[in-house]
Amino acid sequence: MDANDVIEGYVSEVALQLPRRQRNDVALELTALLREGLEDRAEAAGRDADATMAVEFLNSFGRPEDVAARYRQALTVIDPADGPRFVRLTWIGLVIIWGLGLLEVLGQPGVSGADTILLIGRFWFGTVLPSLWWPGLLVAYFATSAWVGRRWPPAADWKPRAKDRLDGGRAALLLGMAGVALGCVVLSNPTVVLDVVWQGRAAPAAYTALTYDPGFLQRQAPWLFALVLSNLPLMAFALVKGRRPAGLRRLETGLSLLTCAMMLWVVFDGPVLATPAGDETAKFLMLAIVVVVLLGLAVSRYREVRPAATRTAVAGPNASGHSASERPR
Amino acid sequence: MGDTDAFAKLEMELRRGVVVLATLSQLRKPRYGYELRQALADRDMPIEEGTLYPLLRRLEGQGLLHSEWQTESGSPRRYYALTGDGRRLLKKLTESWQGMNAAMVRLLRED
Repeated sequence: MDANDVIEGYVSEVALQLPRRQRNDVALELTALLREGLEDRAEAAGRDADATMAVEFLNSFGRPEDVAARYRQALTVIDPADGPRFVRLTWIGLVIIWGLGLLEVLGQPGVSGADTILLIGRFWFGTVLPSLWWPGLLVAYFATSAWVGRRWPPAADWKPRAKDRLDGGRAALLLGMAGVALGCVVLSNPTVVLDVVWQGRAAPAAYTALTYDPGFLQRQAPWLFALVLSNLPLMAFALVKGRRPAGLRRLETGLSLLTCAMMLWVVFDGPVLATPAGDETAKFLMLAIVVVVLLGLAVSRYREVRPAATRTAVAGPNASGHSASERPR
Repeated sequence: MGDTDAFAKLEMELRRGVVVLATLSQLRKPRYGYELRQALADRDMPIEEGTLYPLLRRLEGQGLLHSEWQTESGSPRRYYALTGDGRRLLKKLTESWQGMNAAMVRLLRED
């Protein structure tokens, strides 16, 4: 293989990655330019160009993939501004999917801890590989979003949003209040659902399944009912004010935590519904609600922005050992 | 080591910013790729061939350069030169660069 063969091979690799209509023209030009560059290098070295010299020269020129990429317009699939959000969402989703998959695998009957290879195999083929739909979906979403943003750049300027705004406005809040009221009605008498949906013609077993356990009715039901109901005055306050002041938000957080604690007590104390199957379903739903609410609160807390000015002031040259709230004014 | 890396990266960013203007400035008269690279290097603006040659094609694709093959001197060579749009863009970019350069000189003089 001589220097010309090396150059031709390199040019072919570059050209193959270019659009067909551009390929031959670029190949001809690039070959001529590379030969001329190599001749100059050989002249400077005082010897004839050989394959080794050609390889060195082409390595300094760049990998064929990189050179071919420079001939094309840059293609942005995911907007660089969305990169960190894409990575974060990908990992959050994968961790949830893998976590649920792991629980499912470990919970399968007839599998003991000794069957490690079998467990790993089931987890790999049943959870990890199928979970790739999630990053794929995110790529499709962010790519579409980037394309739309380039095609129709946002016309409106950024507008400030109040921290205590009502998300979704008063209409969404009204809808939420209706939901809570409906929930209270169902909570007070679950069989009302059967009456409404089947006009009282549901099977007697269905009524039995939705009958509360007397112990639950006596111990936790009044408290749980009161906690759910107490959302209504808070929501009404926000509806009248048209916003959710900091004090109200703190109250709502406290109420949510209290409700979660109450539901956990309910789940682990004793039966909620009279039949075992109904009871299991009710407890599963309650646990799901607790997980969603706690996750929501944790995410809000994590995403809260607290400017670090206080810390800087304390750590700065004028620090006097007082905390921000203690510092004399 | 870290300082050297940072310097190399930032200097490359600076260079990238002027590559197009430097290239356009040397194509007021027709030149082929290797000749253009030599012209830039002779004026203390060396640009890697792997960057320069694809750039010429992209600028041509944007209508700023036109090119033609010439074979009079032996091996075939593709000569590039500014189009009308390229000349107008060069003028605007030159003014912009001179404004920025003057501002930077003032900024860098300050303590």
